[in-house]
Amino acid sequence: MDTHDRYSQYDRTKLTPVRSLRPIRLLLAAATAALTLTAALTTPLNPAPQRAQAAADDGKDVLTVAVAQSVDSLSPFLATRLVSTSIHRLMYEYLTNYDPKDNHAVPGLATKWEPSADKLTWTYTIRDNSKWSDGKQATAEDAAWTFNKMMTDEGAATANGSFVANFRKVTAPSPTKLVIELKKPQATMAALDVPIVPKHVWENVGDFSKFNNDKTFPIVGNGPFVITDYAPDSFVRLKANTSFWRGAPKFDELVFRYYKDQDAAVAALRKGEVSFVAGAPALTPAQAASLKGEENIKVNDAPGRRFYALATNPGARAKNGEKFGDGHESLLDQKVRQALFMAVDRKTIIDRVFQGHAVEGEGYIPPRFSTYHWKPTDGQKLSYAPDKASQLLDQAGYKKNADGKRVGKDGKPINYRILCHATDPQDKAVGKYLQEWWGELGIGVTLNCLDNVTDPWLAGEYDLAFDGWSVNPDPDFVLSIHTCAALPATPKDTGATDNFICDKQYDELYEKQLAEYDPAKRADLVKQMESRLYDTGYMNVMAYPNAVEAYRTDQIESIMTMPQDAGNIYGQDGYWGWWSATPAADGEAASEESSSAGVIIGIVAGVVVLAGAGAFFTMRRRATAEDRE
Amino acid sequence: MTTEATPQDQAQAAKTSPRALTRQRRRHSAARFWKQYRSHRAGLFGLTALLLFALIALTAPLTIGSDVQSVTDAPGGPLESPSAEFPLGTDQFGRSLLGLVVWGSRVSLLVGLLAAVLSVAIGALIGITAGHFRGWYATVLMRITDWFLVMPTLVLAIALATVMSRSLSTIILAIGVTTWPTTARLVRAQTLAVESRPYIERAKALGGGHWHIMSRHVLPNVIPLVLAQTTLIISSAILAEATLAFLGLGDPTVVSWGGLLQDAREAGAVSSGKWWYLVPPGIAIAIVALAFTLCGRAVESVLNPRLGVAR
Repeated sequence: MDTHDRYSQYDRTKLTPVRSLRPIRLLLAAATAALTLTAALTTPLNPAPQRAQAAADDGKDVLTVAVAQSVDSLSPFLATRLVSTSIHRLMYEYLTNYDPKDNHAVPGLATKWEPSADKLTWTYTIRDNSKWSDGKQATAEDAAWTFNKMMTDEGAATANGSFVANFRKVTAPSPTKLVIELKKPQATMAALDVPIVPKHVWENVGDFSKFNNDKTFPIVGNGPFVITDYAPDSFVRLKANTSFWRGAPKFDELVFRYYKDQDAAVAALRKGEVSFVAGAPALTPAQAASLKGEENIKVNDAPGRRFYALATNPGARAKNGEKFGDGHESLLDQKVRQALFMAVDRKTIIDRVFQGHAVEGEGYIPPRFSTYHWKPTDGQKLSYAPDKASQLLDQAGYKKNADGKRVGKDGKPINYRILCHATDPQDKAVGKYLQEWWGELGIGVTLNCLDNVTDPWLAGEYDLAFDGWSVNPDPDFVLSIHTCAALPATPKDTGATDNFICDKQYDELYEKQLAEYDPAKRADLVKQMESRLYDTGYMNVMAYPNAVEAYRTDQIESIMTMPQDAGNIYGQDGYWGWWSATPAADGEAASEESSSAGVIIGIVAGVVVLAGAGAFFTMRRRATAEDRE
Repeated sequence: MTTEATPQDQAQAAKTSPRALTRQRRRHSAARFWKQYRSHRAGLFGLTALLLFALIALTAPLTIGSDVQSVTDAPGGPLESPSAEFPLGTDQFGRSLLGLVVWGSRVSLLVGLLAAVLSVAIGALIGITAGHFRGWYATVLMRITDWFLVMPTLVLAIALATVMSRSLSTIILAIGVTTWPTTARLVRAQTLAVESRPYIERAKALGGGHWHIMSRHVLPNVIPLVLAQTTLIISSAILAEATLAFLGLGDPTVVSWGGLLQDAREAGAVSSGKWWYLVPPGIAIAIVALAFTLCGRAVESVLNPRLGVAR
């Protein structure tokens, strides 16, 4: 959903300045725990008391979701991780939402929106039936305040600043009318993924770059759920907002629990401790296969919204023209990039690494977003052809030496460093294939797998890198990260750029599509951009991984996917899944029974063992006593 | 070690050169060592296991070939259970696990040996010099040793492996520089004991310098201790390598036992019940570590008769 969420648990947080929030948050959490006296009881480290508690207030339907990410911040102005932005979707209503069927914009906080004739002024009608959870009415004034804050306060622009970069003025002439004036036409005005916060609560906040919104609970919001409790690196608890304008959610409580280890999360699902497992970013093929046969568990294997790519360092540079980093000079040659493209067998990656849980990559935007999905023409397509790749490299002047290694212009054998995420098994697996495929071309590959890829990435100190983004229904953001405007101002700054791509032709198309209000024409421009990006060979989109997730059908009777026919549940562009989830009639009882059965068996076994041991020792003692006599 | 001079030896001494004499003496002591070692059944078992693993590792290029690592030419399907074709099943890429375990033994043993050698070399150097020179030099070195001794080894090794680039040499270095303090302490104690013997004083009186005393008199006397220590440290180095690889700090493109365990975990083999991905490398690690420990213990008790009685 929101622009900056990377597709998996490692966040490169390129758009977020480095923050050190941990100690403060811990302190706050401690304070919260002391105040409410509940936090300690509800951490996952203490599952037993928690279960007892759940059983105590029986009749309450709790949906527990195992997530593989911890929350970075509960402040919508700072949060960039998928888990946090997903939670913000549930806490706060956005101006618009996306239809679960076909992703078109549907009313959220705004019921209607329209541009003026000069395309520069947008007027939104704000609904009059949305209330904050403290009883106050949500109005256009709240929305105007949120946007104005992001425009004036740099700290508040941390996460979603890109949305307001083009805003000239935002006003609220009446409680139901919001007016946004733009500097330049902007086609994405029905896709502003910005949580609208209550002005009366947030205007007291001092430093937005430090405030994490985790001081007082429940947190005032107007979405389908309200946060009632949170412990860092542990869990977030939300309760249903019964006065939500679209209708109350059917589960009474929703808990996002952080599991660092995916195997542990799957085991918890099997035992019924959690109702849903969101993969990190997907369940492994082995896990999916073993869960498929399981009773009461449904595996949701659906087309995902992310792409998985190999990004080339095109020579890192800043807006001021200064070059930095140490990308291999041969990669500046388009022929070399295309040759590398042609030496990657994407089909094998789908079959072997993803084991069918992905779709072969082509254009930049996944086929799920059919309006914007683009495919290369037959003549344009860089399909797997190692021989051609070899010829292309010869043509480019990178010939093999006596040892069969290709040498660069400096006379040294070419060896590319590929930046990979140490936490992502897929990166490592694909890296092994690349090593062999490119090895046959005579090119060496060093896999540089790190926990923190951000530093070398921002410094441009890599040749190629595994890359991936979640794509929104409106593709503006994932397109914008390849424009020259996204480059960092100086080598020391952090830009919004993905991997330092700056292409004039691409930029021109980008400007055109942003100003195009006709959807069909805009889609055509976006496709032209994708075509250009494909030809440059900077981004080799290898796959569109599926969302592979699983849930217990004895706890969740039904849940809406997005798109509705075949789509994901966790990390949707909206709150549809969790809002629509229906508890199974006897769900909680069943899991309670099985676990208490387990406890009983355990106790009985323990008693038997103890009794046996006791009998054995008494007999032995008697025997020795007799012996002594 | 002391050598007994038999009458024959003395008789021969008159005829043969000193060099031949030394050679003969060493041969004798080796034979005696082996005789005593043979009496330790556990030590023999360890040695046999080690020789077997060494043989497997050294002949791996001939028996299975390096192709076993190749992912593009993987013969099987992903995560196949054990069958006639793949006695230990296949991994997530469809490679034969038997082949991978055999191939992985090369890296695991190599890292274990090199890391142990590095560790013992550092330990012996510091121990001997600290025992020989004493004074402020020894005080400073021993405080450094103490510092390393109280630092949790694994944490230090993880920190080192994290900041350096991921490669085999990093792992070797990380293990080597974190496990030396025990050796240093042991060697220093032995050095002090040796240096208090009268013949060292005689050597000094005859003009023997620091280097002469350390290399000619102290070193030969601490070597047995160092050897026993090496054997014992190898097993912990192999375990440490497996731990680091399992924690994802190893080079992901190199097949090792710890790396296989890590791959298994990442593929979700634990929760999906693919035991054949986990068990073989685990057992291999356990056997080799055990074998080295048994050997080390046996060597120790042969060299130190006081230990031999207790065990």
